[in-house]
Amino acid sequence: MPRLTTSGAAVERKRSETVLLRALFIEFLKVSLCGVGGGAGLVWARRIAVDQRRWITEQDFADIVSVCQFLPGPNIVGIAVCVGTKLRGAVGAIAAVAGFLLIPWTIGFALGLLLLEHSHHPVLQNILGGVSAVAAGLLIATGIRMLLPHRGRPAALLFAALAFGLMGFGRLPLLIVLFSLLPLSIAVAGFQNGRAR
Amino acid sequence: MNGPSAPIALTAHLILLSSISFGGFPTVLPDVHNFVVATHGWVTDQEFANYFAIAQAIPGPNMILMMSFVGWKVWGLPGAVASAFATFGPPCAMYFAAYRVWDRFRDAPWQRIVRLGLVPVTMGLVIASGTVMARAADPGWRAAAVTIAAAAITLATRFNPLWLLLAGGALGGLGLL
Repeated sequence: MPRLTTSGAAVERKRSETVLLRALFIEFLKVSLCGVGGGAGLVWARRIAVDQRRWITEQDFADIVSVCQFLPGPNIVGIAVCVGTKLRGAVGAIAAVAGFLLIPWTIGFALGLLLLEHSHHPVLQNILGGVSAVAAGLLIATGIRMLLPHRGRPAALLFAALAFGLMGFGRLPLLIVLFSLLPLSIAVAGFQNGRAR
Repeated sequence: MNGPSAPIALTAHLILLSSISFGGFPTVLPDVHNFVVATHGWVTDQEFANYFAIAQAIPGPNMILMMSFVGWKVWGLPGAVASAFATFGPPCAMYFAAYRVWDRFRDAPWQRIVRLGLVPVTMGLVIASGTVMARAADPGWRAAAVTIAAAAITLATRFNPLWLLLAGGALGGLGLL
């Protein structure tokens, strides 16, 4: 009898885990489809993982965003990886990333090629020009917004301006900009942090 | 048109760039632009701007899509798939590894210091990407005004970016830019 109960519980757990993998896939599919333009994906990921599904706490989510900001790559994909890892380990990460990418990439790629086929058409060309101008503005706004918490530190603004100037106008390779500015910037932050104590 | 080495060179370059794209893939857009437009001439300025606009207008993983369009131009569907994997593969492996060790160093002071040093530089790069893309798309003053207005509205309000993109497309479609 206890044996039966155990196996029943195991089946129950197995089923809930299976659902969770599918749920990870579906919820990150939603995040992907809702997140048009830069930054919107973050809002949806938080809403779904913290508020709706209650998969992780607010603190967990803040941690995940910090980890992702530390690392290279598309941060929103990183959020899928981390939430998936937190819930189900490597399999969960794969389910979340697959949900985030597989279907949206296929649809987007087909749709994009269709649009590119007709991109020589003057009206479409004008529409794309307008979209592009706005999208560039969204990028600039995202950069400024993420910089705002650092506005009280002149050193931070200086390094942001240097990175902006060297990359945007100097057209230097990213590796050179990154590896010349980052050590200096982190060293200055460390020095100021040491003095502040 | 391209030698067999072109897709390999592109994929290798994207793997390198995605591995150092701190602050998200937009930070390396100017470098991608240099590589595929200026250095190799695989893609024209106009095409690059089109890829950007279309990738931004379509829901989903927009930078991965944009790199897939570049890969498509260089080597058809295999190039598109290779570019997509090169864009998200290496970072995914890093996210996974990093999240596993994150808890161990949660309260270490160096984490705060690295963040303080890292964020300003990466955000300078994101803003630079915006200006590079604005100039690649259209150097006219009206388009520049739209870019500045979009940035200002995004900063000042909680407007869904989708409406701004639609408005930009409408302005362009009516021939006002």
